Amino acid sequence: MKNPTPTKVLEALAIIAITGLTATPLALLAARSLAQSWYWPSLTPQVWSVRAWKYVFSPTADVLPALATSLSVAMVVTLFAVIVALPAARVLAWEEFRAKRAVIFALLLPVLTPPLAATMGVHALFLRYGLTDTLIGVALSHLTLTVPYATLMLTGSFSRLDPDYEAQARTLGAKTIDVWRSVTFPAIAPGLAVAASFAFLISWSQYLTTLLIGGARIVTLPLTLVAFQWGRR
Amino acid sequence: MKTIKKKHLFAQLLFSTFGALLFSQTLIGCGNTAPSSRSALTAEQFSRSRWDAVIEQANGGEINFAMWSGDEARNRYYQNTVAAKVKQQYGVTLRFLPTNDVADIVNKLLNEKGAGKTSGGTIDLVWINGENFRTAKQGGVLWGPFAEALPNIKHFAEDARQRDFGTLVEGYEAPYQRAQFVIAYDTARAPDPPRSIEKLREWIKTHPGRFTYLAPPDFTGSAFIRHILLFYLKRDSTGGAFDGKFDEQRYQRAAAATVAYLNEIKPHLWRKGETYPTSPKEADRLFANSEIDFTMSYGPSFASEHIARGEYPPTTRTFVFGEGTIGNYSYLAVPFNASNPAGALVVINHLMSPPHSLDQGRALGSLFPLLPDGLTTEERAAVVALPLGPATLPAAELAKHQLSEPDAQYLERLEKDWREKVLKQ
Repeated sequence: MKNPTPTKVLEALAIIAITGLTATPLALLAARSLAQSWYWPSLTPQVWSVRAWKYVFSPTADVLPALATSLSVAMVVTLFAVIVALPAARVLAWEEFRAKRAVIFALLLPVLTPPLAATMGVHALFLRYGLTDTLIGVALSHLTLTVPYATLMLTGSFSRLDPDYEAQARTLGAKTIDVWRSVTFPAIAPGLAVAASFAFLISWSQYLTTLLIGGARIVTLPLTLVAFQWGRR
Repeated sequence: MKTIKKKHLFAQLLFSTFGALLFSQTLIGCGNTAPSSRSALTAEQFSRSRWDAVIEQANGGEINFAMWSGDEARNRYYQNTVAAKVKQQYGVTLRFLPTNDVADIVNKLLNEKGAGKTSGGTIDLVWINGENFRTAKQGGVLWGPFAEALPNIKHFAEDARQRDFGTLVEGYEAPYQRAQFVIAYDTARAPDPPRSIEKLREWIKTHPGRFTYLAPPDFTGSAFIRHILLFYLKRDSTGGAFDGKFDEQRYQRAAAATVAYLNEIKPHLWRKGETYPTSPKEADRLFANSEIDFTMSYGPSFASEHIARGEYPPTTRTFVFGEGTIGNYSYLAVPFNASNPAGALVVINHLMSPPHSLDQGRALGSLFPLLPDGLTTEERAAVVALPLGPATLPAAELAKHQLSEPDAQYLERLEKDWREKVLKQ
């Protein structure tokens, strides 16, 4: 027992390697954000400075309001993506019907179409309904991209759950809400968490959709960042 | 029992499929009631208005300015100093829409035109140039013509008012900034840079791996290869002197020589020319890290700005080719469905004024874009006294070496030839 087994050693090494791989780029990014000048051959920045951070928090950069907008859009999108995806996934997992494949294909269309084409189409449609340049319009356009993913993931969760569990609970006298609370929800909770995080992240990272539908008026974090990533003209 | 359950599930599916649709249907009402059409100034009305009346109409309004926003110092100057000035002088509130690529804005406008949204647009003013201007003008998504009726247009040279990359301006955009291509080098690494197209070729061959250029269609990379084309276009006197207009025969001859030049230097470039940097940021990093000895830009003061931010070594300087380098103008335009064209015109005219140009020169080191003829004696003295960054060339030096942009067709053809005959070789 004194000597760790080879598996244990391998496990420890793997953990260190994975942590290192994840942490190193982040650490470099943190260092970079505090470096004013940092060029070859110096291993550490020549001049340290908080200039970049000062700019981020200055009113000029608009980063803080953009962060708030990004957060609220992403949260609304996550909520509605899950609300729409839950019943759809339930049917797709538990029911067999003739047009099932066609429904799945239709569901995936928004993410299979090239993003620019899909977004231009959504923009043209939203223009007719006066949904462009509004927060609601932006959230709806993000929904077209998040619902397919959320539905597919939840379909996986539902298909691992036997519908008879629900029937059993009902036989024992449970009301619909109780069936959901003590049978269905605990069984699909992990999948629900993954679907929700996915929906959140997809909304969080949208650039083109937000720019076109939001008319550069709804400013989310990616909008403030992209111009800097490219550099000077 | 079973069939009831099944119906229930189908109802749920229906709800899901049309859920988003129902959700949006309830919102249509909200969208339509939003007030958007306060009667906006038309170009036709503007042509009959006195300038004072336009200023009066602009007072109290708000302007949404889509401006490229990738530069901290510039953002700060415009959002603080310029916005305050415009507010105080004309009562116009200036808001900025962060923009990376104006092509996105042009696409948005084209879509809006297609959908018939002809008023109440979210953008009143846009910084536009060259290809994007041509697309926007051809698509009919610009408000105008207006530029020739602005009081401050008299400060701009005839070539700026007539053509933007060979596209006829016809008053659909107004010039406000001037740029000229310069090359940055580090005096500590290359004390005697090659100041001509021919010398550059020799230098690259004797310093393998130390030079590269941005891959076209990047704005700057495309400009670099255009300099070589222009060099051969001017050298070729078959059929008289080169006048900038597109000529197929001339192009064929000069393009063949340009492609030969670029393929000759290719094996001696950074990474043997197997790859090229694709964004200015990447080229900047290569230069700062001493992987290459030159980097280029359309902004004559870009190297000074990078020194000030500590991103380039303090020994960095810039030069222009003896044959000259291409200069061009930046323009402002008003979208066809702008909510407040009057306000936009007042802001454009302000950005074209001598006081603003001087102020921007002092604040950002920008090149002074106006003709000397229309300036007062004090203004002329102020232009001479404009501070130069450590790496910026004097305006007179730049002016002496300025070349005009050749027709935009040259640009398109050369970018295509570069892709097929240089990149893929």
